[in-house]
Amino acid sequence: MAQHKVDFASNAGLPIALTSVDKLLNWGRSNSLWPLTYGLACCAIEMMAAGGSRYDFDRMGTIFRASPRQSDVMILAGTLSKKHSEFARRLYDQMTEPKWVISMGSCANTGGMFNTYATVQGVDRIVPVDIYLPGCAPRPETLQYALMMLQKKIRKESANMNNNKKQDLRLI
Amino acid sequence: MQVTNKLSPFFENLNFERDDNTMVINFGPQHPSAHGQLRLILELDGEEVVKATPDIGYLHRGIEKMAENMTYNEFLPTTDRLDYIASTANNYAYALSVEKLIGLDVPRRAQVIRTMLLELNRIISHLFFIATHALDVGAMSVFLYAFREREFAMDLMEDYCGARLTHSSVRIGGVPLDLPENWIENMITYTQKLPDAVKMYEDLLTENRIWKMRLEDVGTISAENAMNWGCSGIMLRGSGVKYDIRKEEPYELYSELNFDIPVSNSCDSLGRYRLYMEEMRQSARIIEQLVLMYPKTEPQLMAHSPQYISAPKEEIMTQNYALMQHFVLVTQGMKPPKGDVYVPTESPKGELGFYIKSEGEPYAYRLKCRAPSFYHTGLLQELLIGTYIADVVTIIGTTNIVFGEVDR
Amino acid sequence: MRKYVPKDNVQKKSYYTDRFWVAPRVPQSDVEEGSHFASVVEALGDRVISAYVSVGQLIVNIKHQDNYSTLETLKDECGYKVCTELSAVDYLAQDGEFEIFYQMLNLDEALRVRVVCRIPEGEAIESTVPLFKSANFAEREMYDMFGIKINNHPFHKRIIMPDDWEGHPLLKTYPLQGDEFASWYEVDKIFGKEYRDVIGPENRDPSRIDRYDTKRFSRVGYEVDFDADISQGESKTPIEYSQTVLVDYTTGTEQLDERR
Repeated sequence: MAQHKVDFASNAGLPIALTSVDKLLNWGRSNSLWPLTYGLACCAIEMMAAGGSRYDFDRMGTIFRASPRQSDVMILAGTLSKKHSEFARRLYDQMTEPKWVISMGSCANTGGMFNTYATVQGVDRIVPVDIYLPGCAPRPETLQYALMMLQKKIRKESANMNNNKKQDLRLI
Repeated sequence: MQVTNKLSPFFENLNFERDDNTMVINFGPQHPSAHGQLRLILELDGEEVVKATPDIGYLHRGIEKMAENMTYNEFLPTTDRLDYIASTANNYAYALSVEKLIGLDVPRRAQVIRTMLLELNRIISHLFFIATHALDVGAMSVFLYAFREREFAMDLMEDYCGARLTHSSVRIGGVPLDLPENWIENMITYTQKLPDAVKMYEDLLTENRIWKMRLEDVGTISAENAMNWGCSGIMLRGSGVKYDIRKEEPYELYSELNFDIPVSNSCDSLGRYRLYMEEMRQSARIIEQLVLMYPKTEPQLMAHSPQYISAPKEEIMTQNYALMQHFVLVTQGMKPPKGDVYVPTESPKGELGFYIKSEGEPYAYRLKCRAPSFYHTGLLQELLIGTYIADVVTIIGTTNIVFGEVDR
Repeated sequence: MRKYVPKDNVQKKSYYTDRFWVAPRVPQSDVEEGSHFASVVEALGDRVISAYVSVGQLIVNIKHQDNYSTLETLKDECGYKVCTELSAVDYLAQDGEFEIFYQMLNLDEALRVRVVCRIPEGEAIESTVPLFKSANFAEREMYDMFGIKINNHPFHKRIIMPDDWEGHPLLKTYPLQGDEFASWYEVDKIFGKEYRDVIGPENRDPSRIDRYDTKRFSRVGYEVDFDADISQGESKTPIEYSQTVLVDYTTGTEQLDERR
């Protein structure tokens, strides 16, 4: 019976894929990232154009969800003003684990051209950010690239969210 | 107000002992209706809205204060971000105000190019309107179709000035760039394809029973009310008041062009939707006339006024005095005359005007941007009373508010 | 001694002032006899302090107590049915007054009138909301941005800034980047005062580069040896700007030849 020496270390010949639980979970998570529609200003228009028919976002498995409880990624597109910052934080806290944040555009990264009294200088003062997207407004292809980088990042992480080092701004 | 921190829940000044049976709902600053950061505090009796309080300011960026700290030319890209859907319209309104302040005449070719860009932006904005309005009401495929047309128009804009969304394609005194090759041919192809696309949207929507039920008699404003609330643009024309700044107070080349102003006597959202469609056709018509005017113009792009406007790049690179003046204008800024000016223009959303008061300094003393969406948001207080909650979304969509303008 | 910086206008000023520059004025002309504007000035009677025409629009100066009656006359008798804009200009540094203007539009004639009045600091202006409902939001914004109080306004609350904001942003004494209250507003609101040092102050300098930030900037001038281990960060060295080699000419030219 040793004719078929099955090599369990590789996939050869068997109709199963050998992988670790981490990789499987991360594959599932990265390929169906559901963003929370958080379009604030001009970058929101580019985000909508990214979801349009030319730069299709749906092929990456993203469906824009309106409710924070059902979404994975929060794409902060546009200027965050100080009046709004409280609600942004609240929505971030309402999202369920695992969650990631993409900060899109210069206004979200660092306050952008609006170096004024009413703009939060960088969304990372409020929520921990994973991917920063430069541009004003970034092209939809840039947003897709950022999403693909986020997918790569998710695939490298461990599936247990507590093992990843993150900026400790999560208090509650 | 209760002091809030660490996100302990708070209830702001809401009266919890209510005698009537109304429910208070927060239509919060983040919601999927694609219009930006409007917070409406609605009091509902069953499904009907009894009182609506719009709360704005969630996109306030201090643009007017920035204008007091920047030179006139430096400030132009910031005006892009006001009505970010049709950026050239804001750039142009600002440039026109400064030109009227200085008393400058723009050369003919620049006028042709500017008017073409303005009408192209009008088409872009109206396509965005129909896309988001239909998406909110529920017709999601119109969103995809309109965005497809919009992509072609944004390709044209990108060909010209390099940016899809925040153009800065107009300068004080003219335009910075001439049209690239094949731009006119692409433009002609686009304006020929556009009426077919508009016809497709109308075929999908106008005779649609569901669309008519959702939009007819929703958001009715009488002409008197519209004038009282400071409405402008399509909100006024949808109520029967025939006023378009392009015809009544013409600027640029509009007095020479042949176009109609659609006016509707039904004061509801359905009338306004039809006006948007018709205006897109008129814009295509205007562009076709402008394309014929273009070859007959002389190739001067910026006004010749050395005190306020820099010379063209060829002269700066070769002549010494042009270089010196350019240096002074860029570092110190131009010093317009002392006085104030208010210039209204017809942006796709309504009457966009800039009030500039200058004290002879290179920095404006006061700049106030009269945004049409600000007054339309005020109108919501009255318009939403008595409607059902499903109509709230329709009404917000039909007023075509953009929050970059409202909050500045 | 530090340079005297006037605190009544902290907005940016031109760094170079030409002492002999006389700014020209936007051309103003008198109101023509028999034109529509002349009939407007006549209808307003003795409320008009001065009237002139500039850039095709009539500008009328009135006293601030007359604003309601002037707008009423314009609306009922002269047909200026739309109040398109309402705002203020801060002249507190020069005169101690605000200049409030109302921009009116006549739809039939397609003409515009600007009604301008001056109001001293601390006084309140009468609300024109019963006449023009567009003043509802516009007067609230004027109060929010300048601190000018309005009498008889139906909803006299801040509109654009948050409700608990201190300060009126568009005053000339308010800095562009915000005062102390503004810079910590969001941290205090969301996390509490204790987290001010955790999050740190805002970075308002757009060209700030951290010397030891190697992920975004190259290390020109601050190189380390090839086999040095910087995984635990590196020891901070004092900044040296340039290397000068002092050549001693008295002992001969070996050093110079070496350098060559």
